[in-house]
Amino acid sequence: MKIIILGAGQVGGTLAENLAGEENDITVVDSDPNRLRDLQNKLDIRIIQGKASFPAVLRQAGCEDADMLIAVTNSDEVNMVACQVAHALFNTPTKIARVRSAAYLSRKGLFRTERGFDIDVLISPEQVVTNHIRRLIEYPGALQVLDFAGGLVQLVAVRAHHGGPLIGQELSALRQHIPNVDTRVAAIYRQNQALIPKGNTVIQVDDEVFFLAARQDIRAVMSEMRRVDHSYKRIVIAGGGNIGERLAESLEHEYQVKLIEYSPQRCTELADKLERTVVLNGTATDKNLLQEESIEDADIFCAVTNDDEVNIMSSMLAKRMGAGKVMTLINNAAYVDLVQGGEVDIAFSPQLATIGSLLTHIRRGQVKNVHSLRRGAAEAIEAVAIGDEKSSKIVGRAIEQIILPEGVTIGALVREKEVLIAHDDLVIRSGDQVILFLVDKRKIREVEQLFAVGITFI
Amino acid sequence: MQINEILTLERTLFGVPGGSKKRVLEYFSKFIAQQIPQLDAEEVFSRLIAREKLGSTGIGQGVALPHCRISHCDQAVGTFIRLRDKIDFDAIDGQPVDLIFLLLVPEEANEAHLQTLALLAERFSDEELRKELRKTDQPEQLHQLITAPIPS
Repeated sequence: MKIIILGAGQVGGTLAENLAGEENDITVVDSDPNRLRDLQNKLDIRIIQGKASFPAVLRQAGCEDADMLIAVTNSDEVNMVACQVAHALFNTPTKIARVRSAAYLSRKGLFRTERGFDIDVLISPEQVVTNHIRRLIEYPGALQVLDFAGGLVQLVAVRAHHGGPLIGQELSALRQHIPNVDTRVAAIYRQNQALIPKGNTVIQVDDEVFFLAARQDIRAVMSEMRRVDHSYKRIVIAGGGNIGERLAESLEHEYQVKLIEYSPQRCTELADKLERTVVLNGTATDKNLLQEESIEDADIFCAVTNDDEVNIMSSMLAKRMGAGKVMTLINNAAYVDLVQGGEVDIAFSPQLATIGSLLTHIRRGQVKNVHSLRRGAAEAIEAVAIGDEKSSKIVGRAIEQIILPEGVTIGALVREKEVLIAHDDLVIRSGDQVILFLVDKRKIREVEQLFAVGITFI
Repeated sequence: MQINEILTLERTLFGVPGGSKKRVLEYFSKFIAQQIPQLDAEEVFSRLIAREKLGSTGIGQGVALPHCRISHCDQAVGTFIRLRDKIDFDAIDGQPVDLIFLLLVPEEANEAHLQTLALLAERFSDEELRKELRKTDQPEQLHQLITAPIPS
């Protein structure tokens, strides 16, 4: 595919890196020549310097031939205009834009209407991150929680701990432990090495286990891997920006939420908008403030300011002062691995979270959902099986008959809202949403071809 | 359904500039909307693109058979295009494509249309035919080569 990426920042750069390895023809446009050169030094891509929304620049970038335009510059306006230019002048089939400002996003008529901007997909990193944090809070102890089929099925990553009944036992014992619950362990990472789980695989302490189950069964499966943390009640959020506000808003009716914000003016705004959240004016790295607000009673401390240093430092401080679990937003994706696992329980970057949403629309076939896992090495995808026995390689076949690439497992299906865990004899039908786990995301091309329909599909 | 029922001489083209898959499908959409006024170029383009997303119609050996259902189309419409330069079509064998047979079928496409597709795929799997199609610069001859009844 010919893809033009506008913006060579963190999202654009990471995206280019993800796609350049997959037989795509990538052109990156940015106004900053240094950023472009850095990117070209490590990747096999074409670069164009210039203002990303100018028709001449887009033409030079090959917009007349491009299958897809991904506008992820720092400016909402440039992203929106670039998509409109591509639509009006170049008839570009797929246009994706990152738009952050609620001022635009909240106006429904602005996008995908006859008079509005012709943008196929809008990506809002703030929304992606807020959802991500929310799901983690719903399942105490989970490292990662991903939704499939509109949340009917979830993929959960959990670290096995002493006290979990399944520790030291074979996976097949799960069936006896929780007979009423159907689940599928998709992958196990032991000392950062992927294991393909089999019935006789023995779960060890510190294994990172990825499993799929229907939403209502997640807790039951988690409690097999570790003693489950009690439900969270008290949450302290540091940073009242976009993410902090959305997060507080989505949590305040189920939890006791306190929000720390530095700017007095912003505090007044937040206090007006939020209904039940206690808004505090101050710095998250202020020991006295944390003490006054009895941080030791907080189940979760979540740092989402726009300053990585403040996030990391306040998280460490909160943890040392007795906060239950600390979650830290880190803009510099390279630091995520350094920070997570020490005093910080969970670190996440908006860039990595956004990549998944973008990849969803870039994959071929009927791919509906893509989540990038393990710093982009692995992927979990949801794809719809279409066609019939003749035109499809999977429809009408039992899972055991399907030849999957190495390291790829089918975890579950959703058929008309019903969750079916993938057992060997389950036969795939047209319309099934199939959830797959890829230990090595380089196998994606083969998976796409498996789901692609043959020539006789009209 | 025989191929001569769906392909006319006017819709047998050669020497069409390639560029890219997108550009060729765009070129075809405009062309067919001029030929058959009740067809809408934008609809043809977006339907073809949508079908390609589900799986490339590049069947290998430099051949592609893009097709889709289309509204306001009462019978199957075929168009043959030989490109001047080969283009990347995301084909099954990864090879670039220069022989393209496009097929538009009515919304309520049926078994007969499926068989037409299968017939086309079979026809273009003939190495001799592909060789001839790449040599000839006479529209009449191109048309004849493609529509000749298959010797049984």
